[in-house]
Amino acid sequence: MENKGTPVNTGGVEAAAERKQRTGRITRNFFLHMHAPRVHIHAMKPSYTFGLGLITGFLFLIMLFTGVILMIYYTPSVESAYRSVKDIVYIVPGGRIIRNMHRWASQGMLIVVWLHLLRVFYTGSYLGNRSLNWVIGVVLMILILLSNFSGYLLPWDQLAYWAVTIGSNIAASARELTDLLGITVAFDPGGFLKKLLIGGETVGQPALSRFFAMHVIFLPLSMLVLMGVHFWRIRKDGGLSRPAVFAGEKGAENKLYAWPVLMWTELAILLGVVAVILFIALVADAPLLEEANPAFPENPAKSPWYFLGIQEMVSYSAFAGGLLVPLLYLVFLFSIPYRDREERYVGVWFSGAEGARVTGRSAVFALLLVIVQLFVMERFGWLRDWFPGISQWLVMLINPATITGLCFILVAEWIRRNHGSTRLAAMGLFTMSFVALVVFTVVGIWFRGPNWEFFWSVNQWPVQ
Amino acid sequence: MKRRNFLERAAVTLVSLAGVAAAFSYLRQFFPRLAGEKKRIVLGDYRKFPVDTYTFLEGHNIFVYRDHEGIKAVSAVCTHLGCILEKSTDGFECPCHGSCFSDVGKVLSGPAPRNLSWYEVYRAADGKIVVNPSRTVGPGEKFNIS
Repeated sequence: MENKGTPVNTGGVEAAAERKQRTGRITRNFFLHMHAPRVHIHAMKPSYTFGLGLITGFLFLIMLFTGVILMIYYTPSVESAYRSVKDIVYIVPGGRIIRNMHRWASQGMLIVVWLHLLRVFYTGSYLGNRSLNWVIGVVLMILILLSNFSGYLLPWDQLAYWAVTIGSNIAASARELTDLLGITVAFDPGGFLKKLLIGGETVGQPALSRFFAMHVIFLPLSMLVLMGVHFWRIRKDGGLSRPAVFAGEKGAENKLYAWPVLMWTELAILLGVVAVILFIALVADAPLLEEANPAFPENPAKSPWYFLGIQEMVSYSAFAGGLLVPLLYLVFLFSIPYRDREERYVGVWFSGAEGARVTGRSAVFALLLVIVQLFVMERFGWLRDWFPGISQWLVMLINPATITGLCFILVAEWIRRNHGSTRLAAMGLFTMSFVALVVFTVVGIWFRGPNWEFFWSVNQWPVQ
Repeated sequence: MKRRNFLERAAVTLVSLAGVAAAFSYLRQFFPRLAGEKKRIVLGDYRKFPVDTYTFLEGHNIFVYRDHEGIKAVSAVCTHLGCILEKSTDGFECPCHGSCFSDVGKVLSGPAPRNLSWYEVYRAADGKIVVNPSRTVGPGEKFNIS
C-alpha cells in the first residue's frame, strides 16, 4: 500500500495549529487512540508488515457482522439446525452471500494469521519487551482455531458430525496413555476433557448447545478483549518493531502523523479486504453436505483442510499425533520469547544472511525427513504391519509424528551449540515444525482417500 | 498480632475461600451427571436376524451376529476416534483412519489402541433376547440359543 499524495511531515514547516489538530484527532477519540499520534516511518513500510495483523482484524470484523445475521436465523437444535442453514442459503435474501462471506473470511483469517505469525517470527518481533504480546498473539491464534472448530459443528451436516466426533475423541485420547498405565478408572483427564467439550459420550444436542455458546459468545468475546490488549501493547511496546539502526532515536524527522497518513491507508486496506471476501463469496459457495447421520461416517471422513495435518498425525496414534505433538508445539511457540533473548536481531528479516541460510536448510531437512518417513510407511508399512502383536506403547511412541518432533528438537539443539545462538536455534525449530505441518496438511488434503489410504490423485479412488 | 491485622487477614482469607468455592461450583456446572450404565437393548425374537450375517443396530452402534448355534454382539465403534466400522470380508475396517480388526475384534493394523468389546447377550424371563452393553464378554463369545 503506497502513501501517494498524502502529506508527509516536512519537519517544522507546518503551522503549530495544524500539528495540534492532527494529534488532537487521535488523543480526543477513544478508538483512534489505539494509534500513537505519530508513527515511525519504518512501521509504514508495506514490505515489512504487509498489513497482515490489520487484515486479520478486519476479517474478524467481517466475521462479527456476518455472524450476527447468521445467528438470528440459525436454530441450535439437532432437529432443525440443518434445515435452518438451508433456509439461510435458500430463503433469507442474500443469506447465501452472508454465509459464504462468513465461511471464506474465517478461512482467510486462518491463513492471514499464520502469515502474520511467520512475519512476526522471522523479523524477530517477539524479542525484548514484546514477549508478552507474542504470547497474546499465540493465544489469539488458538482462539481462532477453536472458533473454526466450534463453527463447523453448527450446520449439523455429515462433515460437522464426524469431524467433531473425531475431534472430541482426540480430546479423550489421553485415555490411550492412561489405559496403558492402567489408571483410567482412577484418573481420566481424557474423559474429563471430552465431557467438558461435548457434555456426553457421543455428539448430540448437548454438544451442539455447547459449541453454539462457545462460538457466538465465549470465543468472540475473548478474542475481542485480547485483540484490544494486543493492539494496545503495540503502542505500549514502542510501536511496531524496527531494526536497531532506528533504536533510541528521538527525532521527529522519521515519523508521520497517524492522521491522516496511516488512517487512510488502513481504510483502503479495509475496503480491499471486504472487496476480496465479497468477490470470493459471490463466485464460491460454502459447502454443505447431507444432514448428519450418526450411523454412517463419510469415507474418507475428512475434517476441514486446516485440521488435516493433525488428522494425518492422529492416523498414526490418537494420543501422540492429536495431543502430545500439538501440545509440545504450542509449548514451543509460547516459550520462544523466553528462551531466545538475542535482542540485536529485532526487526531484521531472518536475522541476516546466516539466519536465512539456517532457515533454508532447516526447511529442506524437514521436507526430506517427513517425506522419507511417509514413503517408508506407504511402501513398506509401519510397526504394526511388521510385528502384529506389538505393544501399543511402541505404536504410540514410534511413528512419523513423534520421530519428526524428536529429530527437530535434536537438530535445534545442535544448531544452538554449533552457531552459539538461541535465535538461530529457534528459527531452525520454528521453520522445521512449520514445514512439517504444511507437509502433513498437504498429504491429508490431496493424498488421502477412502480408509485413509494413500492415493496419488482423487481419480484413483475406488468407485463405491 | 494486633486486632486490626487479625480482622484484615481473616476478612481476606474468608473472601478468598468464598471466591474459590464460588469458582468451583460455577465450573462444576459444566460437567453434567451422566448415567454410567448404558441401556440394555431388547432384540426380541432372534429369528428376525438373518443367519451367518452381521446386522448393524442403528442408534446403538452395535453389530449383532447370528448363526445356527447362537448369537453374539460386538461394538461397531472404532477404538481409535469413534467412527462407525464397516464389515469387511474377514473382519472390521474403519473408514476414518484405516484401522483393521479381525473377526474376533482384535486390532490387526492401523492406529486403534484397543480391541473391540463384545457384549453380553442373554435371554430375558419373557423369552426375548437382550444385549447388555455395560457388560463385556470374551472375544467372539456366543450366547447359545438352543
